[in-house]
Formats: sequence, structure tokens, C-alpha cells
Amino acid sequence: MLSIFKSIPTHMDYKGQKLAEQIFQGIILISAVIGFVYGYIIEQFGWTVYIVLAGFAVSCLLTLPPWPMYRKNPLNWQPAIPESSGENREKPQENLKKKKHK
Amino acid sequence: MNTVLSRANSLFAFSLSVMAALTFGCFITTAFKDRSIPVEIHVSKVMLKNVDDFTGPRERSDLGFLVFDISADILLLSRSQPIFDWNVKQLFLYLSAEYATKNNALNQVVLWDKIVLRGGETKLNLRETKPEYLFFDDGNGLRSNKNITLTLSWNVVPNAGILPLVMGSGHVSLPFPDSYEIYKSY
Repeated sequence: MLSIFKSIPTHMDYKGQKLAEQIFQGIILISAVIGFVYGYIIEQFGWTVYIVLAGFAVSCLLTLPPWPMYRKNPLNWQPAIPESSGENREKPQENLKKKKHK
Repeated sequence: MNTVLSRANSLFAFSLSVMAALTFGCFITTAFKDRSIPVEIHVSKVMLKNVDDFTGPRERSDLGFLVFDISADILLLSRSQPIFDWNVKQLFLYLSAEYATKNNALNQVVLWDKIVLRGGETKLNLRETKPEYLFFDDGNGLRSNKNITLTLSWNVVPNAGILPLVMGSGHVSLPFPDSYEIYKSY
């Protein structure tokens, strides 16, 4: 079961990660300010909480799935070293590649 | 931030921190507010008896009876009114009698209480009300006590922060009679 979920690619590239973080922080902060002002005006703290929760839901939708906008800057990997260098050196490099890519 | 779980984690943690900051803001915007309102208390009847108090000392103790009116107009839930703001869940009102006796410099007896919920009652207007609780002294300190003060106070139950105890401005002092009512005990 878990392996199925793990096989779904969910990664973002580095710039995508930065963008996602900025987006969710911005959305939650803006909804917090709106909620604070609105709750203060109508004297209901519950509405402040609801508005922040709405901001939380929106930013979940926007930043949890790996939308294509977070994958616009993939890393440029060095081309694979030709086979001639021998099997001994190839194996560790493959491992290294996988680790970085995950 | 590379997997869904790590993103969900940082998103959740950030939201919680923001929520905590907002709650603190809610507290700080209301912390220094004066929630005292004018209260009118009027006592129309005072009676004094001397009965056996089976819970207290073995001798007879003083038991007071009061009939009182209270009116306080500013318990309104509305934007312009000071008591119910966004950091108030409910009010716990209580009427207490304070007096001094030979043994104790300060006696406090709660006679009546009421919970006012948010969005509930808008005005407190009691006429000819009897106390909910017995006004027992622990001795004979009520008889001919000339200064028994009735005060309406309330606890403001907040969403966040401290639980303030507010005294209503306006209390009444009354003298108690010098003699006991004739009381038949069967």
C-alpha cells in the first residue's frame, strides 16, 4: 500500500519549494490580517478563526500538490559518465544520483 | 519542502503560530478594558431570624432574608457596548453581601448568581427577587449590624487571557434590624 503512495512523484525543484513557501506564508498572513480586522469589527473571534482556516485550506490546495509551476526549474544534471571507467565507480554514483533526486 | 508531508507539516506549523499570534492579539486588544458598569441595587425588605444552623456551629445563628431589585442596562450585546466584546464568552454575575463582625473584619456571602451568555439576555432587570442562597452568618453578627453592603460583581469569562473580576459601580449599604422575627420551629 505505502509503496504505491511512495511511487507517486511529489517533489518540487528548489525554486518551486521557495515559491511554495512564499505562497502559503503570504496567503495565511493575509487571511490572518483580514480575519483579525473583520473579527474585531463584528466582535466575533470565531470568524477570525474561520477565515484563517479558510486561508489554510486554500494554501493547502495551492502548495501541497506538486503543480507544474513548482517544476519549472529542474536541476541540470551532469551527463552520465561513460561506461569505460568501469563498474566499480559507476555504482556509488548511481546511488548518489538517486539520493539527490528524491 | 520536497515531499507532500513535509510541506503539510510546515504549513500546519505556520498556521498554528499565526493563530496563536491572533489569539494573543485578541487578548491584548481587550486586556486593559474597563468593564465596570453602573448597577442599581435596591432592597425593599429585610428580615432577620435566629435559627439552628446544622452545618455550622452548634448554637443558633443569624439568618437574613432580603428582597431586592437589581437593574443594569449595559449588558447589551452590541457593537457600541463595552461588556460583550470579541474576547468575552459569558459573564458570571453574583450578588454578594459584605460586612464586618466582631470575629471577622470581612465576611462575604454570595446571595444570588446568574450566568449571562453571549447573545443571551440584553438587560438585567430583577424585581422583588429573593436570594438563591441562604444568608447565614457564622454567629450572631447580623443582628443590629448597621453596615451590610450588597455589591454586584461579575467574572468575565474570556476566549483567551485572564479571567477578570469586575465590581459593578453602585452598591447599597443597609442596616439590619435590632430584633429577630418571631419564628416558630416545629
